[in-house]
Amino acid sequence: MSGLKKLISLISAAALTVSAVAVNASALETYDPYSYDRWGDAVASQAGYTAEKYVDGEIIGCGNFYEPADLFISHDDLMYIADRGNNRIVVTDLDFNFVREMREFDYNGETLTLKGPTGVYVDQYTGNVYICDTENDRVIKCDAEGKVDRLFTKPESELYDQNVTYNPSKVLVDKAGNVYVVVKSVTKGAVMFDKDGEFLGFYGANRVEQTAEVLANAFWNLISTEEQRNRSAKQTPIGFSNFDIDDDGFIFTVTDSQETSTDLVKKLNPRGDNILDSLGAADMRFGDNPPAYYSIYSKNSSLTDIDLGPNGELNILDFEHGRIFQYDKECWLLFIMGGKGYQLGLFQSAAAIESHDNHIYVLDSRKNNITIFTRTVFGEIVTNAANLYNDGLYEESLEPWQNVLKYDGNYRRAYIGIGNALYNKYEYREAMDYFEISISRARYNRAFEGYRDEWLKANYLKCIAVIIVLVILIIVYRQLRKRGKIVYPWEKNRKAGA
Amino acid sequence: MLDLTRGQFVKHVVMHPFEGFEDLRWKKAGSMRIAVVVVCLLFVQQIAYSRLYGFQYYSDYDKMFNIVPYIFKSFILFGTWVVANWAMCTLFDGEGSMRNIFINSAYALIPYVTAYLIGTVMSHFLIQDEYVFIQAVEIIGLCWSFVLLISGIKAVHQFTFGKTIALMLLTIVAMIAILFLLVLLLTLFQQVLIFIFSIYTELSYRFRV
Repeated sequence: MSGLKKLISLISAAALTVSAVAVNASALETYDPYSYDRWGDAVASQAGYTAEKYVDGEIIGCGNFYEPADLFISHDDLMYIADRGNNRIVVTDLDFNFVREMREFDYNGETLTLKGPTGVYVDQYTGNVYICDTENDRVIKCDAEGKVDRLFTKPESELYDQNVTYNPSKVLVDKAGNVYVVVKSVTKGAVMFDKDGEFLGFYGANRVEQTAEVLANAFWNLISTEEQRNRSAKQTPIGFSNFDIDDDGFIFTVTDSQETSTDLVKKLNPRGDNILDSLGAADMRFGDNPPAYYSIYSKNSSLTDIDLGPNGELNILDFEHGRIFQYDKECWLLFIMGGKGYQLGLFQSAAAIESHDNHIYVLDSRKNNITIFTRTVFGEIVTNAANLYNDGLYEESLEPWQNVLKYDGNYRRAYIGIGNALYNKYEYREAMDYFEISISRARYNRAFEGYRDEWLKANYLKCIAVIIVLVILIIVYRQLRKRGKIVYPWEKNRKAGA
Repeated sequence: MLDLTRGQFVKHVVMHPFEGFEDLRWKKAGSMRIAVVVVCLLFVQQIAYSRLYGFQYYSDYDKMFNIVPYIFKSFILFGTWVVANWAMCTLFDGEGSMRNIFINSAYALIPYVTAYLIGTVMSHFLIQDEYVFIQAVEIIGLCWSFVLLISGIKAVHQFTFGKTIALMLLTIVAMIAILFLLVLLLTLFQQVLIFIFSIYTELSYRFRV
């Protein structure tokens, strides 16, 4: 009786502990943190970042924003905000103290003003500021004081179709000073200028998604005449909508299309090739998984902005669901944050994302404010473990991964990380268990191979002995059967009947 | 000659693909009980193949288990085969009874079931690079069963080879037709049930007021 009582009290104590742990995580957030398992099903998870506060124009002291469109943190820790509705660029420091405002620009004595700026970039090598002056059809290159050095206007080249408008929306600059401009109406990639303003061509176009319709059109094009072909609809890819550049000069692009799944996130080398292919991540999905099984999300993600974190993390902003997806540099999903709504940490119209140190800044163009996310303890542990793992330090990452599991037993990568660490320590049997939990077949196969080799080495004498004994037993059995010494009961009956 | 029990006949048939079924027919030694056991083993093998296979080769979406596909892949498919074959053989003047078709087809499945069960066991000892061995076992079992099936159908109806092949192709067509009609029937019954149920609901509301 007392044993039963003990058991009941133990179970209820355990239940209490579990529920206490479960409550304390998500109570802080205004949304339910989740992650994806091996099958692409959403599972509850812990928050890697927590929305700490928001900052708007009033707090900064520059007057309210009006439909701000872009956010950029420069190398000297200044934040540039492209305030589209107010036709200005606001500059603050990272504590959101107002530094200056850029409204008027001096271009060889002439005064230029902005009209609906939607993009801003600061070159970390020269300190020049590049502004997409969208409705004036130009990109302004100026120094910090607003003295214009050069304007990048619509290229007068036969490569650039003059019927196509030129409304630059995002801009960035590489190490050599080449300027890349995203133009909404151009689907061939980013418009590329050299540092003297010379039009170089287009950079890094997306591919057309291979749908049944495209294949059918390719077939019809084979048998149709030139004239028919000219009249049929053209297959054009969808132009990417935003990009960011890392310190090695790789440009990451995102495409905010909800209809296609091709080339939504790309890592481009200077030639314009997508090198995520060689990472094996070409068929990887970014953003929310399509509605499947128990998912409640009925719309595809619309990826509007990408930002590279200090360790090469990809922070991708999903406009449709107001969510932030953080991937590490190997494109493994780390965390999902945010949602749609009015509360802190939720967004109405998420427009731009930037990160600095352990903060993520998200600009909302309808709430007209910037939300600041700070990495949680859990986020810190995961990031640390993932970094060690990505650097190949599997054994060092063992302990951090075990810590991760204490916070979140659903975190699939932790099982893989622990499995790999154990595998490197030649603890194959344990590694197999972890790989089986994480449903990672190829790794399991490797661990199993090691385990089997070890087992055979230790037991091969026994194996041979067992085989010899079996062979002898079979021979003896057959001889006895032949001589009629072994007769099964059912055979007795049949034989007697016959 | 061939003084074998029914159990021993199973081995004889499987090991002698060309005359085994003729002997079986001549001796009338087919056992319905063994045939049913084989079909049940087929069902077990289907489940084992998708749930108990070595993890390094295959992992199923294991959050739920639905037994209906396995019932379909074993019992229903086999039953339809027997019925369709029997139905078609009357057009060809075949001699087989439903019982004999059932027994011969089930006996023919033995190598297939055995090979796949052996493959499932082997998958727990081999790694991905050694998959060829499993594949070899499985393919041999499959081909063997196929040969046995042709020979079994040929023997049960006393057909020539060409006629047997024609009958088997027609049987497959008939199976598709039967399954289609079955699905149709099920849907119709569903509709009728819904209709009756809605009348009942309607009436129960009326009488309550």
